[in-house]
Amino acid sequence: MKWLMIATKDVKHAFSSVFSLVMSLGAPLLITGLLFFAFGSMDEGQGGVNFTPVDVLVVNLDTGAEHLEGFRAGEMLDSFLMGEDLEEVMKFTAGVSEQDARRGVESGEADLAVIIPENFTSAALTPGESASVVIYQDPALTVMPGILESLLQHFMDGFSGAKIAAGVTEQQFDARGFSADQELLRRVSQEYAGWLESSSHEREGQGGGPLVLEPSGEQQGGEGAVSGMIGPTMAGMTVFFLFFMAANSSQTIIKEDEEGTLARLFTTPTPRAVILVGKFLGVFLILIVQAVLLLASSRFLFGISWGNPGSVILTAAGNVLLAAGFGILLMSLIRSTRQTGPVLGGVLTVTGMLGGLFTTGIPDLPEFLDQARLIVPQGWAMQAWEVSLAGADPAAAAAGFLKMAALGAVMFAAGAVIFNRRFA
Amino acid sequence: MRILTLAVKDWKQIFRDWKTGLFLIVMPMIFTVFFGVVLGGAFSSAGEGDPRLPVAVIQRDPGSGLTDGLEASPAVRPVVLEVDQLEDLQDGVERGEYAAGLVVPEGYQEGLVESHPVRLTIVVKPGSPPGQTAQTALETAANRYRGAVQAARLSAEAYQAGPGFEDQADRKAYLREGIDRALTAWDDPPLTTASQLAVGMADLDSQDGELDGFVQASSGMIVQFAIFGLINSAMVLVLERKNRTLGRLLTTPISRGEVIGGHLLAMFSVVLLQITILVLFGQFVFGVDYLRDPLAVLVMTFSLAFWSASLGMLISAVSEGEDQVVTLSLIAMFVFASLGGAWFPLEVAGETFSRIGHLTPTAWAIDGFQNIILRGQGMESIFLPVLILLGSGAVFFGLSVWRFRVE
Repeated sequence: MKWLMIATKDVKHAFSSVFSLVMSLGAPLLITGLLFFAFGSMDEGQGGVNFTPVDVLVVNLDTGAEHLEGFRAGEMLDSFLMGEDLEEVMKFTAGVSEQDARRGVESGEADLAVIIPENFTSAALTPGESASVVIYQDPALTVMPGILESLLQHFMDGFSGAKIAAGVTEQQFDARGFSADQELLRRVSQEYAGWLESSSHEREGQGGGPLVLEPSGEQQGGEGAVSGMIGPTMAGMTVFFLFFMAANSSQTIIKEDEEGTLARLFTTPTPRAVILVGKFLGVFLILIVQAVLLLASSRFLFGISWGNPGSVILTAAGNVLLAAGFGILLMSLIRSTRQTGPVLGGVLTVTGMLGGLFTTGIPDLPEFLDQARLIVPQGWAMQAWEVSLAGADPAAAAAGFLKMAALGAVMFAAGAVIFNRRFA
Repeated sequence: MRILTLAVKDWKQIFRDWKTGLFLIVMPMIFTVFFGVVLGGAFSSAGEGDPRLPVAVIQRDPGSGLTDGLEASPAVRPVVLEVDQLEDLQDGVERGEYAAGLVVPEGYQEGLVESHPVRLTIVVKPGSPPGQTAQTALETAANRYRGAVQAARLSAEAYQAGPGFEDQADRKAYLREGIDRALTAWDDPPLTTASQLAVGMADLDSQDGELDGFVQASSGMIVQFAIFGLINSAMVLVLERKNRTLGRLLTTPISRGEVIGGHLLAMFSVVLLQITILVLFGQFVFGVDYLRDPLAVLVMTFSLAFWSASLGMLISAVSEGEDQVVTLSLIAMFVFASLGGAWFPLEVAGETFSRIGHLTPTAWAIDGFQNIILRGQGMESIFLPVLILLGSGAVFFGLSVWRFRVE
């Protein structure tokens, strides 16, 4: 039972240190919590994304069409933007002049400016004429200009479509040797506008109209967008800090060797193998406690659904075995505690990066990163957590467990042999 | 002079350890490269090959030209899958391989022509920004396609009411031709948008004026590692206190103020050197245009270094051991870096987070750097960031002097 006493002592020591507590539990929960706080608003409403609202100046330079009783498409666009229920995303304000609007964006008073050109109405109605609405933007913005552009395009496509319908009619009549008069073309445009309006109402009434929106995957059993992002983020942090704690806990063998306590232990009647087994078991126990606390607290704090309980147990067990094997092997290769800083900081960070632990919430990753992650054990653990988070049953999760356990066992065996030789 | 002597001693102590170079310089460089590459895909249209978002398409209606219409989209590029690859499409969207998926059902075009529309299916990952962009692009393309069919129908109705068709085949041919003409017209619609960047004097040739991955990563990692780098510097003071060197030092003619000043100077100069190297790295390796206003960047660098060194002094003043230095430095780094927008632009976070983020000096530091390198502004644009950095640095320094103890 001496091995158990040694292991228990290491566990107690690990969890009575503020540093270990912060690095095993505090840091992963703090990082995930900060991201949860940053993107938590995604869950508001019905899964829609809620960004920091931006200020938009709208300058309408449109002179309208005199021949159509002063009809001004620019005013319609202006009213459309001001009337849109977008306060949580964009706050529209009428600008005085183009120059002032541009200056407003440059000075940071506004984030974006919309400049409706003089010939907007004319381009909307006159064949062959075109116009561009200018979006003047703060270059530091990443998402909002695209949203604004979609909004403007949505409005302008109505005019463009009506004009295209009249143009197609005119071309087809011409191609067959007939002439379409202006009255006919105006009627075609009006009918197109009428169709567009009725299909908009139809869309509002039918919830999607001509489109069906389907979410991909099971997405945390249908929970909100943030849960879909926070789950993998927390999984990444869990894997990183399990590996960190595994290496940090294994470091106690070297530390005790340097401080001479290990040598004193070797002078007792306890066989060396038992002492080393106790030290190794301590690493496993520390990781088990850490994994349980992280999974439970993240479930409680962020509502993360880790998946089928059987799958979660298998994945967590595999992750613990893999991390412990990796930590013991890594520490068996270093000579003194002076080397542990760069190894803990450098090696674990770089392998964690390659394993995709820090990029779980980032969309559209380069393909090579996705392929490279299985080079490192952290990538295997991350992949297993993704399977569990997707709601896989234990049979599906067992494959991940077996891979992690096998790899962990190989690394553990190698590390144990090296340590054994060192203290032989 | 004593201040300088003490600072030089700290310098020697810090730089004698090769690990200093690893944590101060090599790691932030690795992080900048990594996040620059990673964020390049998320926040920028810059990149090799086709920069448009990939969208998986299952085309069950061979007659529909919707996929051809998507080829012309500026936002998405269609990747056509086989009709039986629905599961691959869903998996691909879930894994992020595709920004979205589109299933064009059988008889889609015929349904539109005959006024019995069949619904398209768009598959997106909830909460994914590229997914939202792709969804909007697909909706625009689908609406334009429906508009093209409607334009052809209206043209056919007008023709039927006028000259009239010879037979049903003639009507169908007319409709088909009308759809083609309308789709061609949609390639160059009469009303469009044009984006212009408010880049002031920024060098458009060097970085296209966009917030590309390296602009975000470079300024973000400079700020993050200015805090992380404090570990080594703060450790020197804590070790001096722990082994009572600090107490012995005060038995010499050196004053308490000179001791504090010497350590602050050492920390300040270490961070200053670190930021300078990282600025030059960003400039010459990734073309982040720091040198378009060297004086403004220098002022920002000094201000950030002072703020960071003051924080380091405070950490070393309140820490009782090495573990506490590491722990407090890491916590400060996580909190200040994430809230300040070092990991992602605050614009994409929620409003509350963004507002709280701007209570941190790090958010202002990133704003200051971006005002120069991205917005093309000058000294006047960094006045507030500098004031906030120096002010909060002074508060940290005041607190550290108050808490400073020799044992």
